[in-house]
Parts: sequence; C-alpha cells; structure tokens
Amino acid sequence: MSQQKAGQTVLVWDIPTRMFHWLLVVCFVMAWLSYEDNRYLDVHTFAGYTFFGLLLFRVVWGVFGTHYARFKEFAYGWSDVFGYIKGLFGEDMRHYIGHNPAGAWAIFSLIGFGLVLTVSGLFVLGGEEQHGPLAGIITFRQSTPFREAHEFAAYTLLLLVVIHFVGVITESLFHRENLIGAMFRGTKQADTESTSVRPHRLIAATLFTVVVAYVIAAFGGYLTETQENPYLPFKGKELPMSDTWNEACGECHLAFHPTLLPARSWELMLEQQEDHFDDDLFLEDDTIDELLIYAKANSADLEQTEAAWRMNSNIPANETPLRISEVSYWKRKHEEIDDEIWKRNEIKSKANCGACHLDAKQGTFEDADMRIPGEAPEFDAIEWLKSVLGGDEK
Amino acid sequence: MKSGFARVIAVVLFMMAAQVHAGAVDTLQQEYIAAGAGPFSAAKGKEMWIEKHLDAESGKQRNCQSCHTEDLSKPGKHAKTGKVIEPLAPSVNNERLTDIKFINKWFKRNCKWTLGRECTAQEKGDFLEYLRGL
Ligand code: HEC
Ligand code: HEC
Ligand code: HEC
Repeated sequence: MSQQKAGQTVLVWDIPTRMFHWLLVVCFVMAWLSYEDNRYLDVHTFAGYTFFGLLLFRVVWGVFGTHYARFKEFAYGWSDVFGYIKGLFGEDMRHYIGHNPAGAWAIFSLIGFGLVLTVSGLFVLGGEEQHGPLAGIITFRQSTPFREAHEFAAYTLLLLVVIHFVGVITESLFHRENLIGAMFRGTKQADTESTSVRPHRLIAATLFTVVVAYVIAAFGGYLTETQENPYLPFKGKELPMSDTWNEACGECHLAFHPTLLPARSWELMLEQQEDHFDDDLFLEDDTIDELLIYAKANSADLEQTEAAWRMNSNIPANETPLRISEVSYWKRKHEEIDDEIWKRNEIKSKANCGACHLDAKQGTFEDADMRIPGEAPEFDAIEWLKSVLGGDEK
Repeated sequence: MKSGFARVIAVVLFMMAAQVHAGAVDTLQQEYIAAGAGPFSAAKGKEMWIEKHLDAESGKQRNCQSCHTEDLSKPGKHAKTGKVIEPLAPSVNNERLTDIKFINKWFKRNCKWTLGRECTAQEKGDFLEYLRGL
C-alpha cells in the first residue's frame, strides 16, 4: 500500500511551521469559545490578533521558509487535486511527503478565509467597539456588513477546519501514517532522495517570545489587580462629566450616564421629579435646568458610545422609557442572568449597574469590563457547549 | 516650638470643625424651637428610627433602618437600589450632620419615603438629637 516509504526519517516541518499550526489551533478554539459573551471580548480579541499575526507570519514563511513550507512547493492545480482524490479510491495512490494537493487547497483556503475573518474582525472591533486600529474610522452603523462578513468567514473557516481534519484522518488511515503526530514531531518517513529541512530554532524562539509577551501584556493585569483597583481590559473614550449631575443623581444610585437614555426620557423624568420611582427628588429649578442641559448634550440620541447607539436604536420613536432596565436591548443583554443573581446582596437591583460593570461610573460600559460579583470570571465550557448544541440564538 | 505651634493650630482647627458640626444641628433645632417644637429627646428619636410603617403600595414595612441598616457606625445599603450609603454616625463619619441644606433635603426625601409624609419639627428635632449622640 504505502509505496516510496523507504526507511529514512526526515524533518519535513520546521519548528516555526509547527508552532504556527498549533498556536493557530489554540487561537481558533479560543475565539470560538469567547465570541458570545461580552465579558470575554478581551480573550476574543487576543485570539484574533494572535491569529492575524500568525497568518501574516505564515504568508512570509510561505515565501522565505523551508522547502515544504513554501507555497510554490504545494501550489497544485485542480487536475492534481482530482487526480489525488481519484487515486485515493483507485490503484494509483500517490504519497506526498509535504502537503498533498487536496490538503494544499485546504491550507490556502484556511489562510485566505483566516485573513478575511481577522480583517473583518478588525472592522467590527473598530466599528462596534471603537477599539483597535480602525476606531473612529468606522461608525457604529457602518459596522453591520463587516459583522456579517466576520460571522460568515468564521463559519466558513469552521467548515474548512472540519474538511481539513477529515482529510488528515483519511490520509493517515489510507497511508498508515500518523500525520497529526508528524505535525508535532515534524518528521516523516521518506524515500532516500528527500532531505531534512533546517529546524530554525532561533525564529521559533522569537515567535514564541512574541506570543508570550503578548499574553502578559493582555492578561497580566488580572494578576496584579486589587479589589479597589480592578483591571479593565478595555478603556472607553472619556465621556463628558458633570458634578451637578453626579451629585444630584448619584445619591441614591449610580449616577446613570445620560448616554443611556434619549433626551426625551431625561426631560420627562426631570419634569416629574416629585414622582421618581416612588421617591420625591425635591430638586430646585435651577438645578433641574442645569441637569437638562447636560443630559441633552450627552443623551443616547447622540450615540457617543456603543451602549448609547444600541439603546437608542432599540427604543421606538413613540416611546419614552424611564427605566434603562426596561429597554429591550438592555433586557436582551441581561436575560441570561438568573433571578438568584439579581437578589444577591451585592446587587439587589437591576439599577445597580456598578455591581457588575466596573466602568459604570464612566458610562462607557465596555465589554470585558464586567464581572458578576460572587462569581469567578471563569468560562463555563459545558454551558457553552450546551448552548451551541441547543442552537441558541444570539 | 514648631510642633507646639502645629498642635495649637490642630486644636483650633478641630474646635472649628466641632463648632460647625454642632452648628448645623443646633441651628436646625433652634429653628424647630422657633416653630413651637421642643424639647428634644434622643430616646424618642431612637424609637421613631426603629418604628415600622406599612407602605400601602408595595405592602412592605419601612423604617429608617431600611437603608441605613441597624448599625449606624457601619455602611448602609439603599433598600431599593442596593447602593452603599456611608455610615450615618458622626463619630465614624465626621461629614455627617454638618450641612443644613443636605440634612433638610434628606429629611424631606426620607420622611416621605418612610412615613409617607413630611416629618414635623418635633420629629426632626428628636431624630437629630438621637443621631448626634452616635
Ligand atoms: C432620593 C433618591 C434618588 C435620587 C436623588 C435619584 N433617584 Fe433615580 N431612582 C431612585 C430609585 C429608588 C429608583 C428605583 C430603583 C429600582 O427600582 O431599582 C430610581 C431609578 C432611576 C432610574 C431607572 C433605573 C432603571 O431601572 O433602569 C433612572 C434612569 C434614574 N433613577 C435616574 C435618576 C436621575 C437622572 C437622577 C438625578 C436627577 C436621579 N435618578 C436621582 C431614587 C433616586
Ligand atoms: C448582575 C450584573 C449586572 C448588572 C447589575 C448590570 N449588568 Fe449590564 N451586563 C452584565 C453582563 C454579564 C453583560 C454581558 C452580557 C452578554 O454579553 O451576554 C452585560 C452587558 C451590558 C451591556 C452591553 C455591553 C456591550 O458592549 O455590548 C450594556 C450596555 C449594559 N450591560 C448596561 C448595563 C446598565 C446600564 C446597567 C444598570 C442599569 C447594567 N448593565 C447592570 C451584567 C450586569
Ligand atoms: C430609601 C432609603 C433611605 C431611607 C429609608 C432613609 N434614608 Fe436617610 N438617607 C438616605 C440616603 C441615600 C442618604 C444620603 C447618604 C449620603 O450622604 O450618601 C440619607 C441621608 C440621611 C441624612 C443626612 C445625613 C447627613 O449626612 O447629614 C439624614 C439626617 C437621614 N438620612 C435621616 C433619615 C431618617 C430620619 C430616616 C427615617 C425616617 C431615613 N433617613 C431613612 C437613604 C435613606
């Protein structure tokens, strides 16, 4: 069955190529595990940037790297692919030391869609979150098509990964050759004419150091944070503040930033200040005037933050909500939080935003800057699997 | 010499602070007396502080402890919003009972919320008499 497998062990995959491969796998899994819950957006962007960096490295390595890693070594045409697949089921089964033609196409597609995925991700990050290199260039509203492209590319890539994996298993079985092991060890059995490639330890060490440094830069803050000074992975754009507002509205609860409701809501709320959720505010007229000016200049209609944009686009024009916690977007974002959690002593009320959102005072409500008190910010893989298998919608 | 001088300054500052402190409560109680109330009793203040009132709308009992909680030397927690309220006892929080406007505002709000009405001059005087001794 396995022709050309004369007894010689050669190094086919140099260390940087193997490292690229497995780090890419880790990032891919990490990104899928962290995409859904806003709390893990820092993990998600970490995975995304690393994925992007690895792909760029691979493109360079595909030109300047070792023999089997070079693109031109496995740039097979369609006829080769068909020949190869037909061969699998027929007599003429050829064995390739490097990538076989079908595998080669899978790899080019993986790299291509990987680039589409990460670049569209940068656009989503710039548009929806106003972070990353494209912050301020893309508006909230322009980000929707990029989000769609990002999701499409993610599912396509998942499909390609499955195909790639099935291909690897198939080829391993047909040729009785452990290809997964080869991607770890780097070596394969080959004919006597093939020679080993250079391992490139120095480049591998550099690659590894860069990734480790990035891990420390991205997550080191969690190790040094304190109760009073928690680590905020994301810092939002600084919003205008008003001492009058923070004093008058921050005595009984968090001084909700005016970006959380439209101007008409604030007007109505201040107009009926003697009937403020069962409280009478007893504010003086000139204070009310001052509050109104500030609230109108920073209301949700102006969409200064992602939260403002989303809140505002979720409130029908003929409605004037007085509760932030009754806007459909807010409800959707918090529907997965159990009643038991709301009743916890540290939280007590939906209006106690600051109990979970570390940047509630600043009004930025950044993803990843939230923790549910009394819970370690741990990822629950089982819950996640259940929700994915249950086809739960976003 | 120098430290002696600093000590004098510290004592003067402390006395001034204490003066302001006594000032706000005294001024308010003077006002209440002028309105026909008095004399004031800390015991009565404490009794009212604990006394429960049924809120018709929510069906729940309310008292001053609903937010300030039982131990006034410790931080309280707003009954509805969960926000932490700094301790009310002037002995642990020297900013308490120093600002007339602030006290007035909170009497208005808290009496209305807890009792469903404004407090009388007599009641306010008793509350202050109780709180200042904490
Ligand atoms: C005297 C206490 C008090 C003051 C002062 C106060 N509020 Fe409130 N506010 C409340 C209470 C009580 C609630 C209801 C909280 C709940 O049900 O969880 C509330 C609720 C709210 C909510 C709805 C929160 C939600 O559930 O989404 C908004 C918005 C709000 N307040 C805005 C303001 C603004 C703006 C000011 C300043 C002008 C202000 N509040 C001042 C007591 C106060
Ligand atoms: C019990 C903790 C808790 C409280 C209290 C809470 N939140 Fe949240 N909030 C969360 C969690 C967790 C998420 C992430 C949900 C997800 O993505 O699945 C979230 C998400 C959000 C988001 C979306 C963030 C984004 O960038 O997409 C906004 C905006 C938000 N909360 C605003 C508020 C406001 C305003 C309040 C107070 C009125 C509040 N939250 C109170 C836990 C809380
Ligand atoms: C619904 C919650 C709530 C209840 C019930 C409540 N308070 Fe308060 N009270 C507050 C808050 C909030 C403050 C402002 C605290 C701060 O400075 O942050 C306050 C402040 C005060 C102050 C001003 C203290 C100072 O700094 O000078 C007084 C006096 C006071 N309360 C008396 C009372 C009395 C008397 C009752 C019962 C009739 C009562 N409170 C019930 C919430 C409450």
